[in-house]
Amino acid sequence: MAHHGEISTRILSIIRSRSDAGQLVRTEEILTALQGEKFLESEDVEHRNHLKTTLNQLLQDNQDIREIFDRNGGCFYYSIRSMSETYAGILMWKSENPLRLIAEVVRDNSKLYPRPVPFACFLESPFDLTREDILKCLEIMGEEREYQDIAQTVTSVGTTFLYSSRHLDPDHAAMLAEWLDVGQADNP
Amino acid sequence: MPKYGGWAGKVLRVDLSTGKTITEDTIEKYKDYLGGTGIGYKVIWDEVPAGTKPFDPENKIIYAVGPLAGTGAPCNGRTAITSLWPTCWPKPLVASGHMGGHFAAELKYAGYDAIIIEGKADHPVWLSVSDGKAEIKDARQLWGQGIRRTTIEINQQMGSEASVAAIGQAGENLVPMSVVINSYSHSAGGLGGAMGSKNLKAIGVRGTGSVHIAGNKGDWEKVIKLHLSLLGANNQHVVPNSPQPWADHYNAGSRWVASAGRRWGAAAPDIDTGTCEPHNLNRIAYRTNNAAFFLGDQAWRYTVRGNGCTACPIRCHTMLKVPAISAKYGIPEVGQNTCTGLLFGRAFFKTFPDGPKGQTAIEACMVGMHLADDLGVWENYGQMQRDFQALYYNGIFSRKVPEKEFKSYSWDKYEQGDPAFLFELLPRIANKDGELATALGLGTGYLLERWGIPEQEWLENHELLYWKLGHPKHHSNEDAGQCGVIINTQYNRDPQCHSHSNFTRNGLPIDIQKRLATELWGSPDAVDAVGAFTPMNVHKAKMAKWSLLRKELHDSLSLCNWMGPWVASPLKEREYRGDDSIESLLYSLATGDKKSRQELDEVAERIFLLHRALTIRGMGMKDMRTKHDTVPGWVFADPKDKAPFSKGTIRMEKEDIRLAMQMYYEEMAWDKETGSPTNATYRRLGLGTVADELLRRGLLP
Repeated sequence: MAHHGEISTRILSIIRSRSDAGQLVRTEEILTALQGEKFLESEDVEHRNHLKTTLNQLLQDNQDIREIFDRNGGCFYYSIRSMSETYAGILMWKSENPLRLIAEVVRDNSKLYPRPVPFACFLESPFDLTREDILKCLEIMGEEREYQDIAQTVTSVGTTFLYSSRHLDPDHAAMLAEWLDVGQADNP
Repeated sequence: MPKYGGWAGKVLRVDLSTGKTITEDTIEKYKDYLGGTGIGYKVIWDEVPAGTKPFDPENKIIYAVGPLAGTGAPCNGRTAITSLWPTCWPKPLVASGHMGGHFAAELKYAGYDAIIIEGKADHPVWLSVSDGKAEIKDARQLWGQGIRRTTIEINQQMGSEASVAAIGQAGENLVPMSVVINSYSHSAGGLGGAMGSKNLKAIGVRGTGSVHIAGNKGDWEKVIKLHLSLLGANNQHVVPNSPQPWADHYNAGSRWVASAGRRWGAAAPDIDTGTCEPHNLNRIAYRTNNAAFFLGDQAWRYTVRGNGCTACPIRCHTMLKVPAISAKYGIPEVGQNTCTGLLFGRAFFKTFPDGPKGQTAIEACMVGMHLADDLGVWENYGQMQRDFQALYYNGIFSRKVPEKEFKSYSWDKYEQGDPAFLFELLPRIANKDGELATALGLGTGYLLERWGIPEQEWLENHELLYWKLGHPKHHSNEDAGQCGVIINTQYNRDPQCHSHSNFTRNGLPIDIQKRLATELWGSPDAVDAVGAFTPMNVHKAKMAKWSLLRKELHDSLSLCNWMGPWVASPLKEREYRGDDSIESLLYSLATGDKKSRQELDEVAERIFLLHRALTIRGMGMKDMRTKHDTVPGWVFADPKDKAPFSKGTIRMEKEDIRLAMQMYYEEMAWDKETGSPTNATYRRLGLGTVADELLRRGLLP
């Protein structure tokens, strides 16, 4: 096994370079990488525990390193030198399932700005869903209690926007969607 | 060594009637008005009698730039052109148009801060200004030519580095809805006819000089770096329009459209715009693609690059290359413009066969730019196109235009969204060919009067966006509630003010906007979330005053108010703050005339006050509140009849707007009853002689 300092340095490098590439990294991925590079000799419980201790220490010692947990307790690491908390959140939701991804993004937008989100934005990076994926999600959301706040509004030129009824009234969401889709371009 | 940096030090005065040119000292006569609109308003006040008509030889046209033009300050490419306004109805009043491009810098390098055009030439001429030398040249061979050919011809004589501001056939024919254009796509609307009335086809400027910076070089470069670091994308949108790894915030409505995978597809080789992390200042120019913003994703494949003004990294004029149009319409495959200039052709049509962002819409944009920017036709913030649609679809054209002429237009093409229709329409507007084209070329107010249509119909119709005096709104209640309404009451054309809308559209969460608003205007209640407006308060009045003064300051310094002010930024470490003192820092270092933010704002207030005085003198009345600062009926209506201040409406409430105007007048220290500035206010701002003249005319409250 390599020296503790070398391992820490390598872990930092892995987290930061993955963040530079726009990706989160899981504990397991770090472990695998270290083993592949012979920083660790084998995958055993001792190494896993040691790694967790090392990561906790790195979180304390390096202000840019952050951890984020999914609903199953899975832990991801990233560096805020190149990745925002918002983006990390999107990637974490994406790792869970597309329902959660869409719902949480829509809720965040409806609450913070506030504004609805165009359906088409989920087709692009970092969401990378297909039209069929999104339509399927919306169909399921219509049936599941957890997602009853996710609603749709369609603009005068036929563009679908999503919003959360927890944070936006239907009329307000419709007006904002029209503003984003048509109004801003007509009032440049 | 001159006492001040920044200014070139000389103003060129050209009398086209006599052919004489003289120079005046900028500092001696105009320093207290900075430059740009400040010089323009001062000249009109001092030299153009009330009652003068825009096309009279006694009217003057003032091309003026500010002390920051031609320096390294970001976004310094604006030239203000001030005159009596041909489309201001029912009575022409003072106004200004603003063009970007490279004219402003070249004028400074040639040794001048402004050109005052007076009189009228007895035959077509153009003005050559080159390194301190001005010559009036024969333009008979250029008369009748479009702007592009005129520009090329003059560039052949003056050199390719010269900037040429020219009019097309529309200006020559005294069409009020006409423009001056420099650098092929940078236009100042409304002024082509004024140039044409003086038989002045173009002004070419070329300079090899430089602008002296008075302050410490290191300090200057530090401020430039700071300013660059605060820039967002076009309109100072400070968040990207899709999630980026570095970004905490994003907004689908942002003009910051760069992203990995979005490529300038017509560049060779094509270019990936990338993530554009905000600290990478060398990537600023990739953030904006206004063709993609307005025309949708398919514009990416036609994008060659961004183009723009001197010292501006934003590049808001997107250059498009659409090979199909060359064979289809017989026009060049490359075109460039931004905002309403880009949309000039598309905006005439209600529908297209393949939708509002399809291929045909892009072709309509290309045809529109090709024709309008050569003929020199103006769209008045899209009012010409909105009027056109309403007049056609409401059957007014068919009633007002002689039958034979009406039938000479291919209305089937028009209804089908065929861009070829523009070849029938736009040259006829430029040539005043027939009743329809002549009326459209007058501008809304005079058109309505000519055809006996009550202005009230336009004032009540929200879709038309008409505000007053023959002109539309420009960022009103839809952007900033009462603040937007106040701003739209103040000018004699659309206000062209972006200080407020660049803040409310910056894309940041409402909580951050409110925090910044507290720092700027004293309370989070100065701003509301869009479509969730709240009743008037004094902080909104403060925001309105600040917005107007910053606009006038930018127009006088040559900074771009389409980009600034820079009070929000993309920088998380600054908690998304910009810097409200960037203008005074730049001004003080460039000129050596050290002024704080507040002191420079006072100069802007003086300039704005002079505009107000010109309006009062021009109207011959002091009751601005009810006769000038008016608000159209559509502001107080909602398509679903939602109540004012309910969520999902931009509807305003009449009594609240009365209060808003009152609070605004109080902030300005103007008389609340009339909306006219008081004697004391004129004197406080150094305009005692202006107050004296207004007093003599009975125009002081």
